[in-house]
Amino acid sequence: MSDQGVTMPRAVLSGLRRHEWLGLAAVLVLGIVAMAATQPAFLSTYNIYIMLTAFSLSVLIALSQMVILAIGQLNLSVGGLGGLAAVIFAGAMDVLGLPVPLAILAGLAVGLLGGLINGIVTWRTGLNAFIVTLATLSIFKGVNIGLTEAQPFYGIAEPVKWFGNARLGALPALLLVSGPVVILTGVILARTMFGRHLLAVGGNQQAAALSGVGVGRIIVLAHVASGGLAAMAGMLAVARLQLGQPTIGDDWLIVSFAAPVIGGAVLAGGHVSVIGTCLGVAIITLINNALVLLRVDPFAVQLLLGFLILFAVGLGRVRSGR
Amino acid sequence: MTRTDQPAATGADRERKRGGAGMAAGPKPGRAALGWLASNEAGLLMITLLFVLLFSQLTAGFTSLFNLYALTRVLAIDAVIGFSMMVVLVTGGLNLAAGAIGVCGAMAAGWFMQALGLPVWLALPLALCVGALLGALNGALTVWMDVHSFVVTLATMSIFFGTMILLTEARAFSDLPPGYVALAKTRYGFWSGLLVVTAIVGVLLWLLFHRTTLGRQILIAGANPRAAAMSGVPAGLTVIVCHALSGGLAALAGLMLTSRNGAALPSMAGQLGMDWLLPAFLAPILGGTLLTGGTVSVAGTFLGAALVTVLTNGLLQLQVGEFWIQAFLGAILLIAVALDRLRAVWIERRRVR
Amino acid sequence: MTEQSSGREPVLAIDGATKRFPGVLALDHAGIDLHPGSIHALLGENGAGKSTLIKIITGVHGADEGEMRLDGAPAAFQNPRDSIHAGIAAVHQERNLVPRLSVAENILLERMHTRFGLIDYAALNREAARIMATLGLDIDPRRPVRDLSVAQMQLVEIAKGLSVDARVLLLDEPTASITPHETGTLFRLLRDLRDEGVAIMFVSHKLEEVLDLCDTVTVLRDGQNACRSEPMQGLGRAELVQYMIGRKETFVTGRQRKPQGAPLLELNDVSTDLGHHGISFDLRPGETVGLYGLVGAGRTELAHAIVGAARITGGSLRIDGEEERPRDIGHTLRQHRIGYVSEDRKGEGLVLMHSIRTNIAVTIWQRIAGRLGWLTPATEKRAVLPFVEKLEIRAPSVDQPVGLLSGGNQQKVSVAKWLAAEARLLIIDEPTVGVDIQTKAYLHELIHDLVEQGTAVLLISSDMPEMLALADRIVVMHEFTVTGEVPNDGSSGEVSGAIMRCIHAEGEEVA
Repeated sequence: MSDQGVTMPRAVLSGLRRHEWLGLAAVLVLGIVAMAATQPAFLSTYNIYIMLTAFSLSVLIALSQMVILAIGQLNLSVGGLGGLAAVIFAGAMDVLGLPVPLAILAGLAVGLLGGLINGIVTWRTGLNAFIVTLATLSIFKGVNIGLTEAQPFYGIAEPVKWFGNARLGALPALLLVSGPVVILTGVILARTMFGRHLLAVGGNQQAAALSGVGVGRIIVLAHVASGGLAAMAGMLAVARLQLGQPTIGDDWLIVSFAAPVIGGAVLAGGHVSVIGTCLGVAIITLINNALVLLRVDPFAVQLLLGFLILFAVGLGRVRSGR
Repeated sequence: MTRTDQPAATGADRERKRGGAGMAAGPKPGRAALGWLASNEAGLLMITLLFVLLFSQLTAGFTSLFNLYALTRVLAIDAVIGFSMMVVLVTGGLNLAAGAIGVCGAMAAGWFMQALGLPVWLALPLALCVGALLGALNGALTVWMDVHSFVVTLATMSIFFGTMILLTEARAFSDLPPGYVALAKTRYGFWSGLLVVTAIVGVLLWLLFHRTTLGRQILIAGANPRAAAMSGVPAGLTVIVCHALSGGLAALAGLMLTSRNGAALPSMAGQLGMDWLLPAFLAPILGGTLLTGGTVSVAGTFLGAALVTVLTNGLLQLQVGEFWIQAFLGAILLIAVALDRLRAVWIERRRVR
Repeated sequence: MTEQSSGREPVLAIDGATKRFPGVLALDHAGIDLHPGSIHALLGENGAGKSTLIKIITGVHGADEGEMRLDGAPAAFQNPRDSIHAGIAAVHQERNLVPRLSVAENILLERMHTRFGLIDYAALNREAARIMATLGLDIDPRRPVRDLSVAQMQLVEIAKGLSVDARVLLLDEPTASITPHETGTLFRLLRDLRDEGVAIMFVSHKLEEVLDLCDTVTVLRDGQNACRSEPMQGLGRAELVQYMIGRKETFVTGRQRKPQGAPLLELNDVSTDLGHHGISFDLRPGETVGLYGLVGAGRTELAHAIVGAARITGGSLRIDGEEERPRDIGHTLRQHRIGYVSEDRKGEGLVLMHSIRTNIAVTIWQRIAGRLGWLTPATEKRAVLPFVEKLEIRAPSVDQPVGLLSGGNQQKVSVAKWLAAEARLLIIDEPTVGVDIQTKAYLHELIHDLVEQGTAVLLISSDMPEMLALADRIVVMHEFTVTGEVPNDGSSGEVSGAIMRCIHAEGEEVA
């Protein structure tokens, strides 16, 4: 088993590593070419803008799940937290009349705090993150519904509405948020102690602890980061929709898992790819767009996403040499 | 779990060495009764009764015959939803697709009866088979891909629900045979007749897990699949069986709900069937079935469902505002699992002393 | 050397350390003193409490009682972080690496070089390469650890321990999976460190190594000090063994049974999908064949392949002369009555949360169940009790969860289930790891009796005296292949010498 690794030249090895997302890129390019060739509307500036808008939002949702997958856990409450941050953000403007920066801070604070709760409870109790985040999902969603009584907030500040619709040609203003966040996440994971420790905790928690890594701190911080990312996604959704919908976040769960898993994340932890996750989001966005252009039932998207997850996981098994 | 106070004393050891008689005797009946009182099930029963007492004092509506009847009817269905999750928790897995399968089963039954005109006695078993088949697919994928059932059932939840919506075009089957719809209306005093179904299912599950080889194999494979496999237990097969069972039970819950609603509705379990997730997990986890697998408590799951149903019903009667119920149930789940964890730590400490 | 070290104050001293785990008293008022500039051997049989003591020093476990003093001042570590900051480095027995991170990242995990908050990989890799060079190790620091061989991983772990500029260095069985040549390099390095004033604690099963390297010795027996911080001078192998087992080492004269009859198990040039190749040996009823090798030589994996938990890809495996390709464990166990007592009791030998009754009866459920698989606790109890009594398993009741039993009683349960299944061929993997001395003697006697009664036993053990006491022939494995077969004539020196030559020859070739 190991002999192969010893003799195989490094170039080939690193090539294979890169291949992990080269395959995804190829799939994406193929899909784009096919759509461009058959659907004239596909390459219109407006359609590209629509796709990039969806991408900006989804990529934050996917990253929010990805940082938790990196430590070998999962977070069912991504949507619940994003939705709660969204209505707090909208409510702060509508009901309390707070200025936009304060409203943003309020929304972000909700996300970070929710993440903190998830992190502290999982770390302190040693419980499975699944059950903890199932419980907090219900709590966040329940508070959301309780506060809004299932009615949207309409009084969104004008600058927020403007930001949600602004674009430069095909480029939506929302990219100004998600672009830097993606790059920052990538740099943190690949180039900082925190990022490497995150992956170390996911890869072998005991080894990390014995090496003197503060495992609890890493786990809690990962959940805080996840909550922050979910809150950003929720607030972008408010800007995009131009209102504070209580249902924001309800349909995030599948996407949040599908994109990182398609992007090569190992569910046991210790390995995630920001580029892969972005490509995963791009592929999902493309499929969504294609189905809309082809006038297919929107529920077929759910179906396809399900198959994509299964396919990606199956592929991961094959790749890991099973 | 069995709780034992101290390891064997040395004197008793020597005696056992000669005779080995002490071994067969087992715990004394008096201690067994005491043990039961300290058990999770007894605790749940007492808490539930406490809340029943509390709500009956606080609101007049709670103890009305109709409310109790409605309550037991919800309980009958929620307990089966809980069983459906319980049988996969035993394997150390879970079934996010339980709701989606439940809806698929119900819609299949609706189609069999309304579109194909099959008789009830044929349509219902067929619908259960549909559920079991979808569940078996989950199990087979889990074993074959060797990944946690979380990701498999997350994907199939999407696939099953999406396929169901595409096939039915999101339309309900509301022209069901009156005999079937009447099933959910059977009533003995304030007891819903559906509880009979739940009770039979519960007894069968108890017998399966405690009195058959298959059930024991499921439990041991759930506790430690590698050790079980190394002892010749077909661990993979037990996973598939459990998922099939889970699918069948989810479909049963769907059929009970359809009978109560009088129609098979695609929306009866919410988006992707996820509205069932909370009750599905609450009942077994409150009932003491561990997420790590290898343990099961049928009575506990039923009592867990009872506690949740009583609380939900009572709070609604108290006009707490239905919007807050979900947050409340989430908090209960969190507290329950945290308390259970504390208890485990406490027992561990006591054992070490 | 010893005079010099005993004159100084100990840098680290432990007194009266006591640690209880459910069902086990792992440490019972144990003590040790580590002096700067001295290599201290910590010895004891498996389960004597060595690893527990190390874990208390490194803050993994908190002691229930006892005192630890660092430079004479009381100290207690809440977690490994604290102990590392106090200048204590450890090479643990368990795999302690993150598979997907690079060698350099693993070595310097908590101390990566950063510039402006970003990791400086060039400096990191340089530093890691420098540390590895002191060990004579030439591995690309950028390679992910999961691509390394077991021996390379162990060397990286040692490098990791050395990378902390530690005053106290603890090494728990660092030589278990490396070749004698690599061991030589390590020892030179440890001596250099000692001369620089580092206090080193060295745990090993190989007494020759200990006698060669160490200045002082502490021996644990059943969690207690059999001796505490005695100078090694004047002590020999015999004295150390007497400390460890509480009596003189009895040399078993080679049994050299001459079993009659056809081989029960024959392997001819077998290869597996786990990487075995060229595996050939046979085993007859009424004989014990030992499989000896370094940790990571592929012995346990071979046992897995024989029962069908791994795939055989080449060569021939015959059971009773019939060609077999074991694929299904259940089938192998029931059809051919081959039992496997796993080394990994917690992982694949036993189900700790379940009762003694369940754990023994699992192999015979199908036989004792009624129609439709009907099975009552009473039926099980009847089937299981004779074996509980025969093996003298001590517990208040057969309904006791196995997790609450002592290591020795757990091991008896994992043997009992195969006796219940009436195994004709028993593969026993490290039978006495983590069991007390009485149980160890009992298990040896039991294995001996079983073989006398005609059972075939394939014994996997890293404990040379155990091998010499039980095996008729010893098959030596190294790096997933068989490198030789040595008859056990009972002369410990010659047999172990022959075995070492088998391993060493191969090791040199590879290095």
